[in-house]
Amino acid sequence: MIKFDNVSKRYAGGHEALSAISFEISKGEMAFITGRSGAGKSSLLKLILAMERASTGAVFVDGVNINRLSRRQIAQHRRKIGAVFQDHQLLFDRSVFDNVALPLEICGYRPQDARRRVRAALDKVGLLRKERLYPEMLSGGEQQRVGIARAVVNRPSIILADEPTGNLDPDLSTDVMNVFQQFRDVGVSLLVASHDISLISKLNCRTITLEAGKITEDYSAGGGS
Amino acid sequence: MKSEKLLRSRNNQRRDSPSLSSWVQMHRRTALQSWQRLLKTPASSFATIFVIAVGLLLPALLYGVSSNLSSVLDNLNGSAQISLFMDRGSTASELRLVREDLLFDDAISNVELISSEQALEEFSAATGLSEISQQLSDNPLPATLVVTPMDADPQSVATLAARLGATPHVELVQVDSQWIQRLTAVSRLVAVSGQILTIVIVLGLFFIVGNTIRLAIENRRDEIRVVKLVGGTDAFAARPFLYAGMYYGLGGGMLATMLQFAVVIGFNSALQDLLQLYESNFHLQGFGFTSIAALVLGGGAIGWLGALLASFRQIAAIDP
Repeated sequence: MIKFDNVSKRYAGGHEALSAISFEISKGEMAFITGRSGAGKSSLLKLILAMERASTGAVFVDGVNINRLSRRQIAQHRRKIGAVFQDHQLLFDRSVFDNVALPLEICGYRPQDARRRVRAALDKVGLLRKERLYPEMLSGGEQQRVGIARAVVNRPSIILADEPTGNLDPDLSTDVMNVFQQFRDVGVSLLVASHDISLISKLNCRTITLEAGKITEDYSAGGGS
Repeated sequence: MKSEKLLRSRNNQRRDSPSLSSWVQMHRRTALQSWQRLLKTPASSFATIFVIAVGLLLPALLYGVSSNLSSVLDNLNGSAQISLFMDRGSTASELRLVREDLLFDDAISNVELISSEQALEEFSAATGLSEISQQLSDNPLPATLVVTPMDADPQSVATLAARLGATPHVELVQVDSQWIQRLTAVSRLVAVSGQILTIVIVLGLFFIVGNTIRLAIENRRDEIRVVKLVGGTDAFAARPFLYAGMYYGLGGGMLATMLQFAVVIGFNSALQDLLQLYESNFHLQGFGFTSIAALVLGGGAIGWLGALLASFRQIAAIDP
């Protein structure tokens, strides 16, 4: 589903965020990326989302080289991906409901269909009762969960998450991971950047460790397939 | 296997979903949201609309003036006449003969004979100088043949006038159409300057709408970024701004129509006083459905296009 083929990412200043990365995530696989901050976790996710372009090498999603996509195709590509951002990326002048509905609005869902899906997504993250509130009325953890609901609402075939449990207490973190695992079980590929080692070890998933832009460990447990 | 099936049905659903009706619904929602956004900042929205209205009002008024002028001129041209002042020695029967001859001319539609006696009577009645005219020993006024040409355009009237100079017993030919020609030239000048002004003002309106929209985009940069991150195209991100531009333009067009009415109502009463002196029942025109529609729809189109020109590059430049 996702394939990195000898990918390097060098920024304008000469800083190399990723160097010669190769790995593959298959369909229905859930993998973690760990590493210290600055190790290249976010850069890796940005390459998949086509927010950045690889300096060398190629990133394939569903067999398509992301570097070769046109602007329009990039938009189409992003609709297949549900992304959870570290800084949430919510719209503060829209209600929780409207924030979660945004991907559906973009895909042109009928409002009545969208409503059903948004409610289901908010229910999954336990925020159904807060759909009318605005993001600024919510705690950091709740905002994070709104972001997760928005990422899954369109039932994407890939979910990318950058520190999705960063603001959550252990119970909520476990809930979020359960939601992710449900999606994995229906064939969604997930790539989660996190340094919550205790949570990761509980889940027994494949874990890719990055250090200074290089893969130093690719631990595969029975969690894949 | 089961999960694959689920995925496939999910993908199908996604492809079917954006039907025509949902596309219409989506546009309706965007249109409504843009409208509500304009209402949130009524003062600045109105300021933009007012500027557009004033911009549209100027060419609209000029167009009104020139179209009214040309309709007046059409009337005047239609009544173009040539006066043939006759030799004072010519007798009544000679004059009748000349008149009958002229009536056979293809270029002439009518000839009216005003004898010198009639002319004196009219003169006395019109000036109130009957006492003076009665004291005159003989009538100083010549008989006149008033010729109405078939073709009213200035060129052929002039040709006809030249030809009529050779008619027997004619002493003087007078064409009273030179001032009409001058007025026609003035009206053409007004029309041309109106067109040039329209071009300049439309360009100016593009900049005004463009600038307003550019500011709006700058204020909503984060939102556009997020929209793009979750898969919105540039066109999707631009859509609310195009609606906003169109609303500005439509609002400007409507306000311009109202201002135009106000100007004309004020102007018309003054004009009627003036026209009363000339016993004319001329009425201002140029406020039919077409001109209102042209102003409102033209405004809307300018607003939309201005927003399009401003938003496209700027939205494309916001790269998440």
